[in-house]
Amino acid sequence: MMRLLLAIIALAVVLAVPAFAGEFWTTLLTQIMIFALLALSADLLLGSAGLFSLCQASFFAVAAYTTAILQVRHGVGTLIAAPAGVLAGTLLALVFAFAVRTRGVYFILITLAFGYIVWGVAYRWASFTGGDNGVTNVPLPAIGPLRVTGTTQYYYVVLVVVLLCVWAYRILTASPFGLSLRGIKSSETRMRSLGYDIGRHLYMAFVLAGVFASIAGVLYVYHNRFINPVAGSFPVSVEAVLMAIIGGSGTILGPFIGAGIVLILRNWVSGFFHYYTGMLGIVFIVTVLWAPKGIMGLIARWKSGDRGEGV
Amino acid sequence: MSTVDRRPIMTAGLTALALAAGIGLLGATAAQAQQQPPIKIGLLPPVTGPLASPGADMVNGFRLFWEQANNTAGGRKIEVVIGDTTCNPDQALAQARRLVLQEKVNILVGPLCGHEGPAVAQVSKETGVPLVMDAAGADNVTKWDRTPTVVRTAVSSSQIGHPFGEYLYKELGLRNATFIGADYTFGHEVTLGAIKTFTALGGKVAKLIWNPIGTKDYGTTISTIPADTDGVVAVVVGADRIRLFEDWYNFGMDKKLKIYGGYWLQEDMLSQVDDRAVGMIANSLHYAAGIDTPENKAFVDAYVAKYKRLPSWFSESAYTAALWVKTAIDSIGGKVEDRDAFLKAMRTVQVKAPRGPLKLDAYDNPVQNVYISKIAKVKHPVLGDVLVPTPVKTYEAVSQFWTWTPEEFMARGPYKR
Amino acid sequence: MRSVILQAINGISLGALLFLLSSGFTLTFGLMRVVNMAYGAYYLLGGYIGLTIARATGSFELAIVGGGLAVVVLGYGVDRFLIRPIGSNHLAQVLLTVGVAFVIGEVCLAIWGGDNLKIPTSAYLRGSIVLPGELYYPKYRFALILFGIFAAISLWLLYHKTQIGAVVRAGVDDREMVNATGINVDRLFVLVSALASFFAGVAGVVGGAFLTLNPGAEWDILVLALVVVIIGGLGSLEGAILGSVIVGLLDAYGRWLLPEFSYFVLFGPMAVLLLFRVTGIFGKEH
Repeated sequence: MMRLLLAIIALAVVLAVPAFAGEFWTTLLTQIMIFALLALSADLLLGSAGLFSLCQASFFAVAAYTTAILQVRHGVGTLIAAPAGVLAGTLLALVFAFAVRTRGVYFILITLAFGYIVWGVAYRWASFTGGDNGVTNVPLPAIGPLRVTGTTQYYYVVLVVVLLCVWAYRILTASPFGLSLRGIKSSETRMRSLGYDIGRHLYMAFVLAGVFASIAGVLYVYHNRFINPVAGSFPVSVEAVLMAIIGGSGTILGPFIGAGIVLILRNWVSGFFHYYTGMLGIVFIVTVLWAPKGIMGLIARWKSGDRGEGV
Repeated sequence: MSTVDRRPIMTAGLTALALAAGIGLLGATAAQAQQQPPIKIGLLPPVTGPLASPGADMVNGFRLFWEQANNTAGGRKIEVVIGDTTCNPDQALAQARRLVLQEKVNILVGPLCGHEGPAVAQVSKETGVPLVMDAAGADNVTKWDRTPTVVRTAVSSSQIGHPFGEYLYKELGLRNATFIGADYTFGHEVTLGAIKTFTALGGKVAKLIWNPIGTKDYGTTISTIPADTDGVVAVVVGADRIRLFEDWYNFGMDKKLKIYGGYWLQEDMLSQVDDRAVGMIANSLHYAAGIDTPENKAFVDAYVAKYKRLPSWFSESAYTAALWVKTAIDSIGGKVEDRDAFLKAMRTVQVKAPRGPLKLDAYDNPVQNVYISKIAKVKHPVLGDVLVPTPVKTYEAVSQFWTWTPEEFMARGPYKR
Repeated sequence: MRSVILQAINGISLGALLFLLSSGFTLTFGLMRVVNMAYGAYYLLGGYIGLTIARATGSFELAIVGGGLAVVVLGYGVDRFLIRPIGSNHLAQVLLTVGVAFVIGEVCLAIWGGDNLKIPTSAYLRGSIVLPGELYYPKYRFALILFGIFAAISLWLLYHKTQIGAVVRAGVDDREMVNATGINVDRLFVLVSALASFFAGVAGVVGGAFLTLNPGAEWDILVLALVVVIIGGLGSLEGAILGSVIVGLLDAYGRWLLPEFSYFVLFGPMAVLLLFRVTGIFGKEH
């Protein structure tokens, strides 16, 4: 009951944001939701299956590029361009998902290599991707007579899409499939001896994470209205994972909190404090040392009444 | 010292005022200044990241101007707010939005990195806040992809390439040149611009080598230069400038061939190379610290006195962007809230900057001098022995369209590798 | 033919630099299972400190030693107070050391600014050697290759022919067993880690003298070192040697023959290799 009430209050606040917070915070929140979705996609692998992927930005960027190129160069409408973007990102995930043949640090490194390849192609295949100038002048989304005309409207579009994704994510992680992923995370050997096809489970998880990252990519391109190789670069992938960890890996709210902290630090604090990269570094260090389960972990500990120092 | 400091601004300001439309507005009194809220200008340099050094030059040039101008324009106080773009377009966009939506700036100035240009232009387009594009050179912005609220005060990339092609052919007598270009948009536009005019005169390209930014090893590049070429042209940026210089000598190329900088040896990195650079063709640029005019001398003196280093073109460019903005604000009596009036003023005033006389063409890009400069060793009263790029040939009033008509140029499309 | 030879030397000289950085990374992983993403930042900081020393004393040799030692101190602090407490969780290590790298990068920017700075070398390292056939080659690069070979041989001897090396190797294979024999593994860790930090700092000075130092250089070099380690196999000294040479050569020939695909040339083979031989060429399953 309490939870439901809280959820309703939270939803009401989120819905009312554009009315009282002003345009800056509305766009910043839009951005936070988009990156939270990307962080959530990284956390599907990390929190559920224990895999640290460093190529989530690849699906994000490929989806964004596909949508942008279709809209800008071929005049294709949002109704087709947006799903096409998600499809393109997903197809790439189907290929990259072979990375699940590896584990641990090797998985980290192979996904890093994949990430670099995508970034390199976006950067160097200039005739198709526009090189470092990228693709500009992406219009705001419009489906038939329904057009988004401003930041406030787009905020609601993102809110709805992200909430739908979160809903799907919840169903997914609570499903037998999600539970067996957690099983794999805690003991791969046990799950194998129980007869689970580990490879297929992880492959599926990787592809699904790719779908979420692709959706985030499409939302991103309409938010920024341009796309550039930087969106597919290594730092974006790392940050997606870091956001999830800072907020609390394995939770749904965690990636949102993490995305909020990182983006507010970068977009807002950087305005009056110039050492914010160093500060971000300190946030990472502090998180690992004193809050390994992220902010959500701290909250859980606080709620359970354990205020001790122990981890 | 303050009298020295004021000199460029007085010269520039007086010239500008004489030319500006709103000549009668000198009467904007101090009383008015107190009533009106300050004008906020958002500056978008990369304060951190790989281009932090040009970013610092940009901030320094901008700050120097406003200090000299007493932080006032059009009878109102000027407040400069900085957004660190880190040379990342995503970040540039976020910072531009912050400056507009949160800080409520009246005018945006920047960004520095070429690929950030479209991102910030996007914010200007969305919000209608005028963008004075400083430093970012992407040709597109003042040609095929113009935004009504964007004017450029720095330079269009290929604008500095075109005169150099002619210089290579006519003055240096090259007929079969090898070009080494930085492999990104700015490099493509400068290099291909030079090649266009060079080949139009009958010059041949022996080889065109594209090098990714951050090329660790110019030995690789150098060893593929054809033996029958009669000169090498370099268009390189960042750390690559020093690496190419060192490798050129280390691989013994100085004994075989001559190399000329289309965009190479600039003020910020000359302390990292030595006297071997003296006498080399350094750049074809719209600025060189060694320009011999009273305006530039005053600017360089003031800059050196304050920052203990030579201004680079990024410093001058930001200084001039500020001068241009002030001239425009003065001419409309400080009413920057009228964005159309401000943009119109930016488009019509003429300024006499350290780099020379400037005005915008019909496509919002400055018509300006392009200087071919050579490295000279100078005994500077403050800095001691310094290497200074010094003009040896001035192409006056160069248009971004060079000698073609805008229509011809536009029909031909952008320079692409 | 000339180009083929030149590119080979170019590739190997870059490989020599990469070896200095990646050997530390690979050994600390092998022995302590620590993934330290701050090695790039160690490189940068070592380079900057070396630069300051070289400017103050005029001695490139002092700069190398000083840059290396400064990083040893820093590396010890990071190991002892930050990495040790979090245990063997790779994920936490990556997050933590990326954070450390951010902080180091910020401090470097605040102290040395954003310019591209080149460390001045000694006079005898400047200029070039003329090879048969009018082939000029920079002395510095030859010296770098020799230095790299020297470092590789000393490490190899230390690793394979000394008692300490034997214990380290045993530790890589089976930590618990070494622990059980009563050897002070902690002290061993400190030693190996100090050596790795020293190499990273030295690499910064040596690399800074021909690649120049600037903000962001730490990530450029770290990525190459990672590729070396992956191709060679994590935890393997031989792998680091071979990987460095391969990456150096791929980089040189790739830029020469297929400049448009230079990223592909580096990361493509790595991805394929990993898919078919997960542990790299020499690596063992960890």
